[in-house]
Amino acid sequence: MSGLVADIIRLEGISYSYFDKIPAVCDISLDIKEGESFAIIGANGSGKSTLLQIMNGLIQQASGKFFFRGHEVTKQTLKDKGFLQFFRKRVGYVFQDSDIQLFCPTVLDELIYGPLQLEMNEKAALDRAFEVMQMLNIEKLKDRSSYMLSGGEKKRVAIGSVLTINPEVLLLDEPTNGLDPRTQCFLFELMLALSEAGKTLVIATHDLSLVNELHTKVALLSEEHRIEKVGDSNDILKDEDLLRKVNLIHEHMHQHGREAHKHRHSHYFFHEHGNGGDV
Amino acid sequence: MKNKVPSFLLERPPAESFNRSRGSLRTPFIEKGMDHLAYVIKTGYVQWETASRDNFFQRIDGRVKVLFLLFYVIIVSLKKDILSELFIGSFVFVLTLVSGLNVFSLYRRVLFWGFIFGFLIALPSAFNVITRGEIIFPILRLSRPYSFWFYQIPEEIGLTRGGVYGVMMLTSRVMNSLALSFFVLYTTPFAEIVKALKVLKVPDSFLMIITISYKYMFLFAKTAEDMHLAKKSRLVGQVSNADARRWIAGRIGLILKKTRMRCEEVFEAMLGRGFSDDIKIYASKKLRARDWFTGVTFFLVGVLFLWM
Repeated sequence: MSGLVADIIRLEGISYSYFDKIPAVCDISLDIKEGESFAIIGANGSGKSTLLQIMNGLIQQASGKFFFRGHEVTKQTLKDKGFLQFFRKRVGYVFQDSDIQLFCPTVLDELIYGPLQLEMNEKAALDRAFEVMQMLNIEKLKDRSSYMLSGGEKKRVAIGSVLTINPEVLLLDEPTNGLDPRTQCFLFELMLALSEAGKTLVIATHDLSLVNELHTKVALLSEEHRIEKVGDSNDILKDEDLLRKVNLIHEHMHQHGREAHKHRHSHYFFHEHGNGGDV
Repeated sequence: MKNKVPSFLLERPPAESFNRSRGSLRTPFIEKGMDHLAYVIKTGYVQWETASRDNFFQRIDGRVKVLFLLFYVIIVSLKKDILSELFIGSFVFVLTLVSGLNVFSLYRRVLFWGFIFGFLIALPSAFNVITRGEIIFPILRLSRPYSFWFYQIPEEIGLTRGGVYGVMMLTSRVMNSLALSFFVLYTTPFAEIVKALKVLKVPDSFLMIITISYKYMFLFAKTAEDMHLAKKSRLVGQVSNADARRWIAGRIGLILKKTRMRCEEVFEAMLGRGFSDDIKIYASKKLRARDWFTGVTFFLVGVLFLWM
């Protein structure tokens, strides 16, 4: 182990099917190191969210093994209170749909729910909640109910509700989806800060600009729900053919003034006109 | 942002180990309920999957199947002897096999519901307290007969021949009707069943309500399951039943609120696509020769059952 950073999460040949019929992920093997920022990218329906749910022990894989800090996580081990506490304290999950994640009467209740579950005293839990509210700039929302919040505010509260647990690993499912540019920018900065604070970030996304900003390690999922490639974000984002193959960028016509062009396009690539691509 | 990161977020967890507790956490009732909800979704999916296969009965037009169901349920109710019910039951069983359905899964449901709504409900009528007649299975002998108001309790209580026959008759009718219903349900996608109801002159507005309610059932199950997962991801220990009940009550309120909002959005979407109080559902295409042939064959077989 000397000099090497330990794997915090290890997946070995994980497969899962919905209703035992529709494959969601097939034979996925991954190693995620402590403190690493790791992005799981792929098109819609490629199995990113399912993989995160397995990593949070919310659903059980049909085959394969999942290890957290060297301990195998199974339905049985999660029934052990000692292990459950160990695992939940260390792994936090931010859902794609903030609405389903926010279930307490007010924002403040939402933030202290986790710490109180972990048997922290009320004062310490409140201290954490206020510190997190200050960081996320949501202090003025503390007495509001979740349905009175905007999409961006809900996302901040959802992240805050997980941060108050102080997990080592943050699983973020499509964190920037449906958010305005300012909130997206805020989230980039937050994730960078958390990464610098030593947190392990696992992000499921098809937002390539997010992957580029965070310089993450990347696991690319194919539309066949398998790992297509694992590598550095710079290498993977440069490989346009690979990104097109997995349906993360596409090629279509554009009109620029009087000139029509055909080029590859995504939210990440800003009109990179290829020599042979123009029409 | 970096300066604003609270100090507690920079703290490392104390140790990498944990103490295994004695015994394991029991599965809370909410977890079991959610598993059941997931099963409902799965059942809906399985129904759609088997109904979409390219087998004998699945290829036939939904209208023919709905009329077949109605006609045969009437026949089942009109027949007055067990043997005819047995013949009809065997006929449905053969159709089930030909259509490539999972016989075990279908008949498990038929037996379960048939036992409850056929056998158990009719059982008291087999006693001579309700159905007079020759006792073939005596159960209890009282010291003397009793009379309450207009009720007469005879000295000897037992199962009568007529009563047992009546129970068998009702149970076989219920089981045959269930087998027919499940058979049509398993071989016809739900959307097609709803459209086929137009042939029975069911109003379009009612069909629209059924369609939307059916779809909502799955949305509801999915939302409830997702909410449960979100809570599970932040749960550490055992949740007391009282806490679980409180949480469920809160969730029901929220789901109601979301449902109302969803309802308004759906209505706006309908308005946006030209809805103006008059619901129009696309009528099915013309019947093909195969549908006519199958329909007439089923009709003739049905008449044969009636004549028997």
